[in-house]
Amino acid sequence: MVKGKVLVIDDEEIVRISCSRALRPEGFDVQLARNGVEGLGMLGKDRFDVVLTDLKMPDMDGIEVLKQVKEGWPEAEVIVITGYQTVDTAVKSIKLGAFDYVEKPFTPDKILAAVTAAMEHKKK
Amino acid sequence: MLNRKSIHSLTGKLIMAIGTLMVAGSTVFWYFLFSHQERELIQTSIKYGHSFVDLVKKSTRYGMLTFQELLIQQTIEAIGSAEGVIRVRIFDRKGKIAHSSDKQDIGTILDIRAPYCQNCHSPAEASRKIPTWTITKDSNGYRVLNIVQPIYNEVSCHTSACHAHSRDQRVLGLVEANLSLSLLDTGIKKQGIAITVYVAIFLCVISVVLCTILWNFVTTPVNMLTKGMERVAGGDLDYHLDIDTRDEIGQLAQAFNAMTSDLKKAKNELVEWGNTLEKKVQEKTEAIQRAQAQLIHSEKLASLGRMAAGVAHEINSPLTGIVTFGHLLLKRFPPGTEEHDDIQVIIEQANRCSTIIRGLLGFARASAADKAHTDINDVINHALNIVKNKADFFNIKLITDFDPVLARVKADPSQLQQVFLNLIMNAADAVEGKGTITIATRTLRDDTADFVEVEVRDTGPGITDENLEKIFEPFFTTKPVGKGTGLGLAVTHGIIQDHGGKIFIKTKLGEGTSFFVRLPAFREG
Repeated sequence: MVKGKVLVIDDEEIVRISCSRALRPEGFDVQLARNGVEGLGMLGKDRFDVVLTDLKMPDMDGIEVLKQVKEGWPEAEVIVITGYQTVDTAVKSIKLGAFDYVEKPFTPDKILAAVTAAMEHKKK
Repeated sequence: MLNRKSIHSLTGKLIMAIGTLMVAGSTVFWYFLFSHQERELIQTSIKYGHSFVDLVKKSTRYGMLTFQELLIQQTIEAIGSAEGVIRVRIFDRKGKIAHSSDKQDIGTILDIRAPYCQNCHSPAEASRKIPTWTITKDSNGYRVLNIVQPIYNEVSCHTSACHAHSRDQRVLGLVEANLSLSLLDTGIKKQGIAITVYVAIFLCVISVVLCTILWNFVTTPVNMLTKGMERVAGGDLDYHLDIDTRDEIGQLAQAFNAMTSDLKKAKNELVEWGNTLEKKVQEKTEAIQRAQAQLIHSEKLASLGRMAAGVAHEINSPLTGIVTFGHLLLKRFPPGTEEHDDIQVIIEQANRCSTIIRGLLGFARASAADKAHTDINDVINHALNIVKNKADFFNIKLITDFDPVLARVKADPSQLQQVFLNLIMNAADAVEGKGTITIATRTLRDDTADFVEVEVRDTGPGITDENLEKIFEPFFTTKPVGKGTGLGLAVTHGIIQDHGGKIFIKTKLGEGTSFFVRLPAFREG
């Protein structure tokens, strides 16, 4: 049984794979997008429970992605992945409606815990 | 003796002028006094001369009335032998000498045209008063007073028994006396010499007195003034004139002393001003140098921060892969196996990389500080709780000297904790595991604001001047390779600056080092 559908938006392939390898074995349907435009396109075609997005990306940054997700698909929870230097932005993104943020480098348990918590929050 | 310079001096000129005036005045005085005295003496002599001739007339009157020519002659000779009488003669009305003290003259007839007779007998002289005396000179150069008196016809003359004279005759003859004035001339000459000598002595005494007065009251003070001027011109502004008189020279000296004093004051002010200026320029130069160093330091930190942020972002993603896959791999090997342990090492080292990057990113944190009212004593206690159980601190004596009523500050506690941890760890490294670290807090107050000061003091070897200059530079470290990143104090410095405070060091080689952190105290309202 699928625990939930998760969309990972990150320009770094290793981060995308790390997320997918941490969540898929735990029963999540994980889709990967290389940038914000691609991610938003996938959101238009499918329904996602949780969106994991990097903050620092070329073309469209994580804050813009967050804003558009919260506008178009408010039922989806957003978790922001951040480098240490963007903690301020992470805090800002919480204020904009993100559920949580995870600092890089993260462990599989940490990302799983964040996504699980988001799913539980969504169910309430 | 007056030399050329003396003549041109003020004293010389005054002496010359006064001397000339005095010599001229004395000469005129002497001349008038002498002339007046001589005139008076001559008048007195003439008066006595007339009395003398009158005496001759009266002495011979009886002989003439009784026509006793021998008696007359004897009387004339007796009178003529007296001292000072050169000659006494009686002339009849025809000019014949009837009697004379010099017998050889008797019978001689004087020519009426002779100059001597013309005194009375010239027609031009007839209209004016006939002079009764003349003064001539004898062969010795002495003056001779000649007195002439007419013998007038009297009643007793033409009525006497001899009937020698008719009644119509007015003048019967003349009596003439030649009186020597040699005594008078000698006396006048002696008196002249005496007066001249007295005047000369008077002039000499006056000159000496005048010179002394001028020397004391003009020359000496003027010389002192001149010397004073030369000394002052030569730069000796301590020179003081000791002239204490109440005259113009004294006033001049007082003015001179006041001027010197003012000059000295002005010069001192100038020197002081120059020194102050130099000091101010030095201070400003140092301030500019400090500001420049600060600017360079800040610029370095900023560019380092930018670089670190970029590098951290790039490295964090691969680290995420290493950590994630490490953990995934770890689950495949049960604990206790060699593979499990090896993978554990990979994960730990990846985490260490992450920690280093966090340190680097300390610079990139621009506005991350979450400032709240913070009790510094609490922050330090937290930091001490973290370190005191570490093995490095087992042999270190930690002393705290906290101000119990320390003012609060507005700060980010976690950042301040990092600051004090850095300072305490550095102190522990400085004492090399054994020694004393003292942490003191106090509230300072100055005119404008209150400050909280934290002092972290160690008993280490101290810091050399060379190292002190670079101590806040990033990557500067004296610790062995692998032990320190050289970022601790640079980050500390950045945090304190971000909090509007300052950090400074007092160190003495061989005795230890104190790090002082000052933060502005929070004030309600």
